Amino acid sequence: MKSYDIIVIGGGMMGTACAYYLTQEGLKVAIIERGDIAGGTVSHTDGYIGASEKQPGVDSMQGAESMKLYDEMRKTFDYDFEYSENEDGDPIGFVYFCESEFEFEKAKEQVAKNQALGIEQYAVDPYILRQLEPNCAKDLTGGMWVPKDGAVCPYRVAFGFVEEAKKTGLLDVYTRTEVTDIIQDPATKAVQGVVTSKGEFKAPKVVNAAGCWSPFIGAMVGMEVPIEPRFGQLTVTEKTGKITQNRLALEYGYYLTKFFQDGERPINPLVKAFNVCLNITSDLTGNTIVGGCRLFRGFSIKSEYKIMQAVAQRGIRYYPMLKNFNCIRSFAGIRPFSLDHLPIVSDVEEVPGFYMACGHEGDGITLGPITGKLISQYVTGKPLQFELAHELAWSRWQGRDIAAYKAREEENSKALKAIEEEIVKSLSQN
Amino acid sequence: MLNKQLLIIGAGPAGLAAAIEATKAGVKDVLVVDLNMRPGGQLFKQIHKFFGSSAHRAGVRGIDTGAEMLKEAEELGVEIWLNTACVGFFDERVACIEKGMPDGSKQILYIKAEKIIICTGGQENVVRFKGWTTPGVMGAGAAQTMINVNKVQPGQKIVMLGTGNVGLIVSYQLMQAGCDVVCLVEAAPGIGGYGVHASKISRAGVPIFTRHTIKEVKGEGPNGRVSEVTIVELDDKWQQIEGTEKTFEADTVTLAAGLKPVSDLVRLQDIELVFNGPFGGWVPTHNEKMETTCPGIYVAGDTTGVEEANTALEEGRVAGVSAAEALGAISADKAEAWRAEIWTRLDGLRMGPFGEKRAIAKKEVMDAFPGVAEA
Repeated sequence: MKSYDIIVIGGGMMGTACAYYLTQEGLKVAIIERGDIAGGTVSHTDGYIGASEKQPGVDSMQGAESMKLYDEMRKTFDYDFEYSENEDGDPIGFVYFCESEFEFEKAKEQVAKNQALGIEQYAVDPYILRQLEPNCAKDLTGGMWVPKDGAVCPYRVAFGFVEEAKKTGLLDVYTRTEVTDIIQDPATKAVQGVVTSKGEFKAPKVVNAAGCWSPFIGAMVGMEVPIEPRFGQLTVTEKTGKITQNRLALEYGYYLTKFFQDGERPINPLVKAFNVCLNITSDLTGNTIVGGCRLFRGFSIKSEYKIMQAVAQRGIRYYPMLKNFNCIRSFAGIRPFSLDHLPIVSDVEEVPGFYMACGHEGDGITLGPITGKLISQYVTGKPLQFELAHELAWSRWQGRDIAAYKAREEENSKALKAIEEEIVKSLSQN
Repeated sequence: MLNKQLLIIGAGPAGLAAAIEATKAGVKDVLVVDLNMRPGGQLFKQIHKFFGSSAHRAGVRGIDTGAEMLKEAEELGVEIWLNTACVGFFDERVACIEKGMPDGSKQILYIKAEKIIICTGGQENVVRFKGWTTPGVMGAGAAQTMINVNKVQPGQKIVMLGTGNVGLIVSYQLMQAGCDVVCLVEAAPGIGGYGVHASKISRAGVPIFTRHTIKEVKGEGPNGRVSEVTIVELDDKWQQIEGTEKTFEADTVTLAAGLKPVSDLVRLQDIELVFNGPFGGWVPTHNEKMETTCPGIYVAGDTTGVEEANTALEEGRVAGVSAAEALGAISADKAEAWRAEIWTRLDGLRMGPFGEKRAIAKKEVMDAFPGVAEA
């Protein structure tokens, strides 16, 4: 039987990052992946990285720490993962649009809190906003500029982690191999290995990095993991050249809808029905990618044309010139949505040797490095990378009523679905 | 949103046959869309006479078959939109259509169809060698369209890679069109297509190099066009043998390395696919009604596995009858008898040394069918 120091379940952003940082600690690691490396959420997403689209506190801190690690990686990795940078080697930045006084006030609050944590971001007036993004709509109230946020090629980051880890000679990768069970000591519950579609593997430690699918892995050791798939969809245009000057432009409502159910945006019914918020970038090849939405659709990743229409409307609201371009493609993916909006990164006290690295809804590309680093620190018993990191631990769910969280979330999503259906029905009648 | 009873995507032999059969069976509201400027698919470039039994129009040229089918479809009142691409395919059988307008502009439309038949055909495989993207390297099918439909020579001096029936027939047609076919190159030890086609080429003095492949194409002609083609001999393990290179002056390379099913639209639905080597790759599984695992979605023709025009046509008929039955235009008994008759002809087409492999492949694809999913 093959034997390792630690087995990482999942070859996505978290799994490959964990494997990389664990091999740097001299551990013998196996990645076990049901499909291919970077075959799930990592290859159904854009590649924005940044600390700005996070709530001030542990959330924005983990983003900032991860950005530091990315900065390290682009200097030390031989594998090119297409880190966006200008001539000075700096990232190209994010711009947020506020279309109401309410949003601008919220943005200013966020800027003040994050500046206090040492994260560089600024509130900007409409004049500066037009300097930053000359093609944007002329009626905006203000915005927020985050010069240090940027982008990477997501699957190249995952491949990069694997290639760099393989240099140590300590990593084996098993793709097309599905974990079907986790072997535990009957008395202590300590993990001893995993059962897969291709036989058993022995290891005293196992990391659950299965993203949207991590609840299935958790259930194998008797854990109820509060993570659900949250659907998103992007549209790609024909070649447009540089419509956006920054690496990413978003409406501030993107941030608001991510964390709060906002009722404040002056939006039309179709946009409301599908919870669509603009994020837009003109990529390196000259196409423009427009998104996005947050919906619950189970594990389906099929594009929906009504969402494409809503996304197009939202895009044209902020970049009127978009109406002149054709869409060539649309794709969808699912994000591992954690019911309290924070990822779960730590060991698990009740199952010795079991670690969680999952639940990074929509932030996985940004947070891959810091998550891998933290897991390596939990495994080796070294001090954690930053002070607030313990707030990400699984233990926060101890004593919480997960069923109640789930019920609330289900009610929420039912209510959203009802709104969606009602609007779609009324639109089709007209 | 436009509502249609039956939407057929692709107006090749399968699509036209499906439309004709469904209309004959009583379906009133049939729309066929096709990306090209004219319907008929590949039939309109097939100027040669077909082989086979007289029941299957042997001795008739593909181009005439196409014209007849088109006339019949039009007389039956089938609506055909040309220059029209299906650009999206969503749940509940909603197709997004980019309709070509008379003034050359395009209009986006959504069509919700009660039944859909996908007949998107096949596409040519490419072969990669040094210089394979040089201008002047093209599919044999593209060259055939240029001479037979557009009446333009693809080049003056042509090297053909592949000696299946497409490679042989297109080579001969290129010669008829006044091009100089320099040679044919075949990796296998023997010629792939019918001997009768090969001997026409040999009689004209064109060499056929078996156990050879293209090693390199040089693009030093005008505007970087192909100027020189180097071929090389292969050993028993298909490896190139150093020192056996031969170089020819040529301005065009045509690739006849087989076709694969176009399954892009099929993949946008939860339709189960199986891999089938003889059929050219991933194909949708289907039952004897040509229905896929996705209720209300049917397939016919090369989309279900690369064969030839007559089988595509017959499969189209089966799909048309089945869609008509599902729409309530004809009774189950009548549809069953109608289909049985067509299947007998289909079985006849899949006999003999060339047909048997396809009969086995079709059985494998249909055996893998797990049943139509719940709607």
